[in-house]
Amino acid sequence: MITNSIISKIMSKFIKNSLVIVVMTSLLLTGVMTVSMSQRSFAQLLPKQMQTPGQTSINGAGATFPFPLIDTWRVEYQKVKPDVNINYQSIGSGGGVKQFTAKTVDFGASDAPLTAAERAKATNAVHIPETIGSVVAAYNIPGIPDKGLKLTGPVLADIFSGKIKKWNDPQIQSLNPDKKLPDANIVTVHRSDGSGTTFVWTSFLSKSSPQWNQTIGASKSVQWPSGVGAPGNEGVANAIKGSPNTIGYIELNYALNTKTPYAFIKNSAGKFVEPTLDTVKQAATDVASKGLPKGDASWEKVTLLNDKASGAYPIASFTYLLIPKDLGKSPNMNEAKAKALVDFIKWAITDGQNFSSKLGYVPLPDQVVKADQESLKSLTFNGKPI
Amino acid sequence: MSSSNNPSSRKEKSSGERPSKAGNNFRQTFQEISIKHASRRRITNKIVSIIAIVFVIGAIIPLASILFEVIKNGVAVLSVQFLTQPPGAIGSDAGGIGPAIQGTLITVGLASLIGAPIGVLSGVYLSEFATTSSVKGPKQRAISFFANTIRLFNDVLTGLPSIVIGIVGYVAIVLALNSFSVWAGAFALSIIMIPIVSRVSEETLKLVPNSLREAGYSLGISKTKITLFIVLKNAKDGVLTGVILAISRIAGETAPLIMTILGTSLFFTSLTGPVDALPLRIWRLASQPYESAHGFGWGAALVLILIILALSASIRLIARGKGIRVRTETI
Repeated sequence: MITNSIISKIMSKFIKNSLVIVVMTSLLLTGVMTVSMSQRSFAQLLPKQMQTPGQTSINGAGATFPFPLIDTWRVEYQKVKPDVNINYQSIGSGGGVKQFTAKTVDFGASDAPLTAAERAKATNAVHIPETIGSVVAAYNIPGIPDKGLKLTGPVLADIFSGKIKKWNDPQIQSLNPDKKLPDANIVTVHRSDGSGTTFVWTSFLSKSSPQWNQTIGASKSVQWPSGVGAPGNEGVANAIKGSPNTIGYIELNYALNTKTPYAFIKNSAGKFVEPTLDTVKQAATDVASKGLPKGDASWEKVTLLNDKASGAYPIASFTYLLIPKDLGKSPNMNEAKAKALVDFIKWAITDGQNFSSKLGYVPLPDQVVKADQESLKSLTFNGKPI
Repeated sequence: MSSSNNPSSRKEKSSGERPSKAGNNFRQTFQEISIKHASRRRITNKIVSIIAIVFVIGAIIPLASILFEVIKNGVAVLSVQFLTQPPGAIGSDAGGIGPAIQGTLITVGLASLIGAPIGVLSGVYLSEFATTSSVKGPKQRAISFFANTIRLFNDVLTGLPSIVIGIVGYVAIVLALNSFSVWAGAFALSIIMIPIVSRVSEETLKLVPNSLREAGYSLGISKTKITLFIVLKNAKDGVLTGVILAISRIAGETAPLIMTILGTSLFFTSLTGPVDALPLRIWRLASQPYESAHGFGWGAALVLILIILALSASIRLIARGKGIRVRTETI
C-alpha cells in the first residue's frame, strides 16, 4: 500500500512535468528519427537520392565560379549512376586549395592553378581543367544601359589603380566616340575575399600594365589602391547594380544572370571583343592546340589571357578540379570510391560538357578533353592504376 | 495626484486648529505650489509614457518586419517536397532543403547531448559545491578562487566570437579526423552552449530556498542526494529553460558551422561525414545569383524561425504560472 502510494505520487509528478520531458525528448527523437527515416521509409519517397550502405558519397569543395555547372552535374550524374552521390560546396578558390591541401575533401576546385608554394604543400596534386570561364568588366553608368562600352587593358589598369578618375576622361572617351560619358567620378568595385576571379583579373591587368605588375601584381587577393570591396561574384554584381558610376569585374555568367552590362575589351589582335562562349572558346582552343602540361606538372604558366587568336576574348581562364595523383594516400578513400571519383570526372569532361553552354560555360575543346583523359589515366590507388 | 494632495490636506487640518493670517497665507501658497507641481507631474508622466510607448513600438518594428518579410517571401516555397527532398540543381526550382532540416536537428541534438550535461553539472558545482562556508583557511581561498575563475572563463566564453569557436572545431576535430564531420559541428556548438547553460543553472539553483537544503540535512540525507533530488528537482524548470534558451541560440548559429560541417546536398550518412544545416544553407543560398535559390533561402529562414519559435514557446509553457525568473542578461 505504502509503496503503491509512493509510486502513484511519483507517477503524478512525472505526468505533471511530462511536458518538460516531452519537449526535450521530442527534439532528440526527431533528430534520431530523421536519421533512421532517411535510411528506411524515405527510401520509397526518394529512390534515387537515398543513402543506403551500397552507396558512395564523394565530397568536394572550392571555387564559386563552376558551382552552378558542378551542381548540375551532381543532379544529372545521379541519373547515370544512382549509387554515386556527389557533394560539392562552393567555398571559394582559396578555400578549395586549402581544404584540398589539408585532405579534408576528396577533391578541390580552383580557378587559379596551384602556385609553386601551394604545390610544395599539396604534393602529387593533379590539375583537371573541367570548364572555362571569362571575367568581364561590368559597369553601371547612367545613360549607358547597354553592354558594349569599349575598354583596353591599360585603361582598365589605370581605372583600377585610381589614375583615371572620371568617366569622361579623354582616354575612355576617345575609345567610345559614339557614347556620351558623364562627368562623374568612377567607383571601382573589387572582391573582398580571396578569389580566383581576382587572380584572373589582376593577372590580366599585370600583363596590360607594367606599372600594375610592379606595384600591385597578380594574386587571389591584392592590396587595392582604391575602390570598394564586396564578397563573392554576386556581392560585386550587386554593388555595381546598386550604385551609379561603378565598374567591377565578375564572371560572365554572373553578369548575364544579374543582367549587368559589360564592356568589350581590346584583344591582342587589336579588336574589341565581346565576351561570348564563342570568343572565349577561341582562346581556349588556341592555347590547347599549343600543348598542355601533364596533369601532375605545374599549370602556373597556362594562361588564356591576351591570346593571339584574332577573335579571342582576352580575359579567360580554365577552372580546375584538383585531385591527388595517388588516391590511396587520401584519408576517407577506398578503391571503390576512388574509381567512382575518376568515373565521375571522366563523365564530367565528356558527357557533362553538354550542360555547359546552357549555363553560360564554354565546353572544353577536344584537345583539353584528351589531355584530361591522359591525366586521369595516370591516377593510381596505392600504386595500382584505377 | 491624490498622494501629492495628502500633505496639504493634513496641513489644512493642523492649521485649522489655530487660524491665523500667516497660516492662511501659507496654506494658500502651499496649495498653489502643490497644484502646480501636480499638473507638472501629470504632464511629465504623460510625456514619459508616450516616449516609452514610442520606444516599445520602435523595438517591435524590427522583429515584426523581419517576421513579415520572411513569411511573405518564404511561404510560397513551402511544400512537402521542399521539406523532405534534397536540393535540385542550383538555379532550378526542383528539390528542397530536407538535408538541411535533418542536419540541423542532428547537429543541434548532438551538441545538446554534449553541452547540456556539462553546463548543468558545472552550474551545480558553482552553486552547490563551491560554497566556502564549511571549510576555512587556504582550502576556502582555493575553492573560491577556482569557482571565480570558472565564472570568469564562462563569461569570456560567452563573449567569444562564434567564428573563433568554429576555427577551434576545425583545428581540433576536422584536421584530426581529416574530414568535415557532424562531431566537429556539434563540438563547436556545444562550446557555445556550455557557458549559457552553466550560468543559468547556477543562478536558478541559487534561487532554491536554503531551508529546503537544511531540511534535507536534518533528515540525514547525503549532499549528493540533496543536490540531485531536492535542489535540482526544485530548480528543474529553470534549468530546462536555460537549456532550451541555449538550444535556440545554437540552432541559429552559422559561423561555427562553416568551418566544421562544410554542408552537403545529401542526406545524413555518418557522424564522421559532412552534414547540412539550415543557417549554413541560408547563407550559401543567399550568395547565389539565382532567384530560385533566394526563394529557397527565404523558405529555409522561415523553417528555421518556426523551429526556434516552437522552442521559445515551449519555454513559456514550462515557465508559465511557476513564477520562474531566469536571469538571462548573461546571454
